[in-house]
Amino acid sequence: MSTFGAAANTNPNKSYEVAQPPSDSISSLCFSPKANFLVATSWDNQVRCWEITRNGTVVNSTPKASISHEQPVLCSAWKDDGTTVFSGGCDKQVKMWPLTSGGQPMTVAMHDAPVKDIAWIPEMNLLASGSWDKTLKYWDTRQSNPVHTQQLPDRCYAITVKHPLMVVGTADRNLIVFNLQSPQTEYKRIVSPLKYQTRSVAAFPDQQGFLVGSIEGRVGVHHLDDAQQNKNFTFKCHRENNEIYSVNSLNFHPVHHTFATAGSDGAFNFWDKDSKQRLKAMQRCSQPIPCSTFNNDGSIFAYAVCYDWSKGAENHNPATAKNYIYLHLPQESEVKGKPRAGATGRK
Amino acid sequence: MGKKKKRVSSKVWCYYCDREFDDEKILVQHQKAKHFKCHVCHKKLSTAGGMAIHVLQVHKESVTKVPNAKPGRESTDIEIYGMQGIPPDILAAHYGEEEDDVPSKAAKVDIPPTQLVGGMIPPPLGTGYPSRPALPTMPPVYNPAVPVPPNAWVVPPRPQPWFSQPPVVSVPPAAPYTQQPLFPVQNVRPPLPATAPALQTQITPPGLPTSAPVPVSQPLFPVVGNNHTTTQSSAFSAPPLPSSVPSVTPVMSTNVPVDTHLSSNSSVTSSYQAIGVPGGAASNSHSYASGPNTGGPSIGPPPVIANKAPAPQPATNEVYLVWDDEAMSMEERRMSLPKYQVHDESSQMSSIDAAIDKRILESRLAGRMAF
Repeated sequence: MSTFGAAANTNPNKSYEVAQPPSDSISSLCFSPKANFLVATSWDNQVRCWEITRNGTVVNSTPKASISHEQPVLCSAWKDDGTTVFSGGCDKQVKMWPLTSGGQPMTVAMHDAPVKDIAWIPEMNLLASGSWDKTLKYWDTRQSNPVHTQQLPDRCYAITVKHPLMVVGTADRNLIVFNLQSPQTEYKRIVSPLKYQTRSVAAFPDQQGFLVGSIEGRVGVHHLDDAQQNKNFTFKCHRENNEIYSVNSLNFHPVHHTFATAGSDGAFNFWDKDSKQRLKAMQRCSQPIPCSTFNNDGSIFAYAVCYDWSKGAENHNPATAKNYIYLHLPQESEVKGKPRAGATGRK
Repeated sequence: MGKKKKRVSSKVWCYYCDREFDDEKILVQHQKAKHFKCHVCHKKLSTAGGMAIHVLQVHKESVTKVPNAKPGRESTDIEIYGMQGIPPDILAAHYGEEEDDVPSKAAKVDIPPTQLVGGMIPPPLGTGYPSRPALPTMPPVYNPAVPVPPNAWVVPPRPQPWFSQPPVVSVPPAAPYTQQPLFPVQNVRPPLPATAPALQTQITPPGLPTSAPVPVSQPLFPVVGNNHTTTQSSAFSAPPLPSSVPSVTPVMSTNVPVDTHLSSNSSVTSSYQAIGVPGGAASNSHSYASGPNTGGPSIGPPPVIANKAPAPQPATNEVYLVWDDEAMSMEERRMSLPKYQVHDESSQMSSIDAAIDKRILESRLAGRMAF
């Protein structure tokens, strides 16, 4: 199955396109927690920032700034004050970029292998970085050495933080849960409820559990409290006929606490885990969606449409490859959970 | 989906204490009076959760266990209203019919809020077993009956429901005592005064009796699996033990459903292998096989639901993962390309371009001091 750039529709949902997208695939997207600044990291070694503005229902994107790594960038995170962006990648380092003040980026973290995911922990004023060198390190940006190095059972694939809950997904399908009130000890180590490689994780907004997505087009909803194990379940998604695609991204809506999934099939969907319903299934783009994110108030959902290597190198033609970043303005009915009919009467 | 089942039997029973009633209204009254009543002001609430919230908000006390409930069933998180809300595995264990389990569970999973209680109940047998104190005697009697029926498929589902009942009541005394007919009489008395310290006392012995019955349970794989998982689960629960002792009880209660699920899970997995790609199926079974060995209760419930989903897809010929490399992620694979490896000259060029772009953008940025 090959997609032709001209004929294929990369924007069937008629989302707004971000101007001047990267020249190679996008690896991560994240919005500033304070304003509508969108940062994207790319396989072209760049980290770019756009300012997203709205005039009624029209959305505009203005390129603001960019920095460069020496090798592809894989992850990004904003500081909680919205002034600084962290980015990490295949050059094995994390750079801190004081974007709003126009300062130069400086290296604040180093690993022995590419940095796969990072998370800023404002409650501790620390940056957590996970790498394929099987370590998770905590950094005080004012020191050159990590304040703590945590050994992981295998390469880090995904990190999610909702203080005091942090979950790290590793290559061997382990999910290490940390209570950040004692970050040097594993609170719990869980083998993924999904039987295939972990691809994404997302902590519940109420810190009671987390979501885990795998390459098997399945999402697991897992609660940490042993008394709530009966509320755990998994569901299938991002499948097309006989093909099962990866769940590349999991994002909780900041207000309604529903969540979005984005996958290699080029689709993104909105779900409510409490009523176990799919709220909205969007049209499939002709290319995979490797990453996505909500802005701070949930009014914008950004997703990248580009090749994510899900079908290997042979299906990737750099000459004709196109990379897009789209902005979707979710309707309230798409992201607001609706309790199932019949359950209301019981209480 | 949402298939309704006729209630042939008029007998209903209480999830918390297993008592039987002729009418569901009487059952609800019983639950309100015995299990959902506030111990402070004796107000009757409609659900366990409502009672817990009432006690917390009005009396500033926390209730974590439903009063007068059997061990393993004290959770206030399960919303029981008469026969509604009973977990499928408990329901199956109570009725002891495997054939009704699968559709019943599927229906409940699809429509949790409107869970319907159904299934064929053998009135005479169902009436006799729970009400009689001889209930512990039945498992040993049923065991010799297992090898008698020649049908191999019937054997696995039948013993499981019966075995899951004694562990729910109390794992340690049931296992060894079932072998001797005289001991059940003594066994019946200790569980009656179910108090917290007694419960804790019972928790300590589980380790020893659990290992003892292993050779006895060897003939039946599901039973062996149960013991194996239970042992590992107890080891797994060691870390949370220091944090809070009461959490041990929920862990124990979680083990029983996990065992039941694992048994039914294996049968579903085998059918899934027949449906799927041989290679994929092998990988699937391998991944699943490692699950119980390395994990604990967290693996129990989700795999059951996960494995049931493929079952209703026999029509599908073959499915395959688009990205099927279990050893490496897409990013790792992509990074191994020479294009992304050595980038000395081109990276310098791109960095120069980036620097130029940066200056241009910075001048624009300086022009807008709106920050």
